[in-house]
Amino acid sequence: MDTNAKRIVVWLILIGFGIWVLFTLFPLYFMIITALKPVEEINRMVPTFWPETFRPDNFRGIFADPGSLKSLIDSVIVASANTALSLFLGTLAGYALARYLTGVVGENLAFFILSNRMFPPVAILIPMFFLFDATPWGTDSYWSLIILYLVFNMPLATWLMMVFFRDTPRELEEAAYLDGYTPLRAFFKVTLPLVFPGMVSVAMLCWIFAWNEYLFANLLTGTTVKTFPVHIPSFAAGSQTLWNFVMAFSLVAMLPPVILFIALRRYMVRGLSLGVVKG
Amino acid sequence: MPRLELDAVCKGYAHPVLDRLSLTVDEGEFFVIVGPSGIGKTTLLRCVAGLERLDGGRVLIGGRDVTRVPPYRRGAAMTFESYALYPHLTVFENIASPLRARGMPAAELRATIEAKTTLLRIEHLLERKPHEISGGQKQRTALARTLVARPLVFLLDEPISHLDAKIRHELRRQFHTLDELRRVATLYVTHDYAEALSLGDRIGVLGHGRLEQIGRPRDIFERPCNLFVAQHLGQPTINTYACALERQDDRVLARLSGAPEIRLPVADAHRVRLEASGLGQATLGVRPQSVRVDGADPRHPLRATVDVYEALGAQGILLGRLGSLPITAITPPEARFEHGTPVTLDIASDELLYFAPDDGRNLVL
Repeated sequence: MDTNAKRIVVWLILIGFGIWVLFTLFPLYFMIITALKPVEEINRMVPTFWPETFRPDNFRGIFADPGSLKSLIDSVIVASANTALSLFLGTLAGYALARYLTGVVGENLAFFILSNRMFPPVAILIPMFFLFDATPWGTDSYWSLIILYLVFNMPLATWLMMVFFRDTPRELEEAAYLDGYTPLRAFFKVTLPLVFPGMVSVAMLCWIFAWNEYLFANLLTGTTVKTFPVHIPSFAAGSQTLWNFVMAFSLVAMLPPVILFIALRRYMVRGLSLGVVKG
Repeated sequence: MPRLELDAVCKGYAHPVLDRLSLTVDEGEFFVIVGPSGIGKTTLLRCVAGLERLDGGRVLIGGRDVTRVPPYRRGAAMTFESYALYPHLTVFENIASPLRARGMPAAELRATIEAKTTLLRIEHLLERKPHEISGGQKQRTALARTLVARPLVFLLDEPISHLDAKIRHELRRQFHTLDELRRVATLYVTHDYAEALSLGDRIGVLGHGRLEQIGRPRDIFERPCNLFVAQHLGQPTINTYACALERQDDRVLARLSGAPEIRLPVADAHRVRLEASGLGQATLGVRPQSVRVDGADPRHPLRATVDVYEALGAQGILLGRLGSLPITAITPPEARFEHGTPVTLDIASDELLYFAPDDGRNLVL
């Protein structure tokens, strides 16, 4: 390829990237400026792309409602507890599938577990409501969401952990047995450290799903327990929707996953590329 | 005192791999199992280590029946062909692994590791991770890990096969000099016959699910019990020809079936045995070492032509044709042969081997 053609290709790629960046970052930009506008400026027919009046007080305003902070705490509790449980069960199940159920039965079982992720969640919405209504802790509780989200997160965790375990050579565990470690000690000494980056990725994926989930949280909970996605509509005061509060609160709710991602990105990248290159 | 005993060990997957295999390795003995790839050598080691469940038979280590004992309580240490070093741990921690398993105090642990790593000359690598060291260094790390474990039985699975010739030679020498290996029973598996001959106090040739022959290296090389053993020990591979053993006057001759004009005299030492077995058809084995190549002499009974000549430095290998039959011979290093050159061959008749055409057993043993 001559230099001119090369330059054109580079430019085309850059333009493509530019469009992509615009497409993904513009909503974020609009969120930020809306969160900083007074409510009068939002309701204009022609939207402003730079706030005429800055109102950073919006961020304090959202917490005038004590439910705001509580909804974030509720979300943290539900997402973290569910992630811990998904990861614990998914790691055990994934290990069993990778090491002990290697034949046709194992393959089919693994596929069945993953297939639980494939049906439309709304299909089980009503049955789940009745199911949790019959439990001792009822629908409107931490436990209902923590357990319900296992339906989505555990298959994912199991499947991914199975793939990670399959990619760690069995011989390493066998070497540990011969060094004198029991299977359980060998698991913690050798296998778990090797899949740890993968576990971090799985934890991130589970946590983000549970953090963002709205449909089930809205139906099952809402009084004693109220996660932040369910809390957002409460900023619609009568006929007036306080978009600046909605956006300010959404921005605050975005922070925990972003911080987590940045803190754990070293493991995320390694985890997501586990199994890509053997060696 | 026997340290390791295998008693009629059976193991199979789709088909039997080990079939009633029995073996005793004494204390201080270095026993080498040699056999072609895929014959079950690694399976045998894994059975001893306890990584495979036996289909039948018993394994005894130090007189104790360990057939149902899990690998972490057997007292066996094994190096894997793939080294199986823990990639997330440093060389030091890899070697420390068996010592930590039994909770050795830190000071003693460090001293033990330093002694072993100095011996194996990897003491400068202790803080590196396995991916930062070379193949030979990985091998030594794996070896150090088994040495510090002070097991009753050492199991070494092709430990030096994947290394380049120079390091292989050096490690082979270290195997000869490691005291640890001289105090316990060592089972060493390889597909390389030269390694087996050089290292083994005794050798076992594995084939068809059992040890075809067990014995001292020289004995097995010179008196293989069957064709399989003869074909597997020796490089280049032994020449084999179908032949008919015939009496002529007071001599016995081997007439090659593929080239009836060629008749080789049978040595007196072999004659009695062959006559006792009734002469008739046999498979004749001619080691390339037993063939001497000379210049062209048109009156010589054994005339061959050169196909390919490989000069390998310490020796030469001549691939030629004896009539229509292929023959391989080892020549002195200074010899030179061109393609198509006629040569004469002298075959040492007392080094010839005769095998039964049906089951391949050695007819003169």
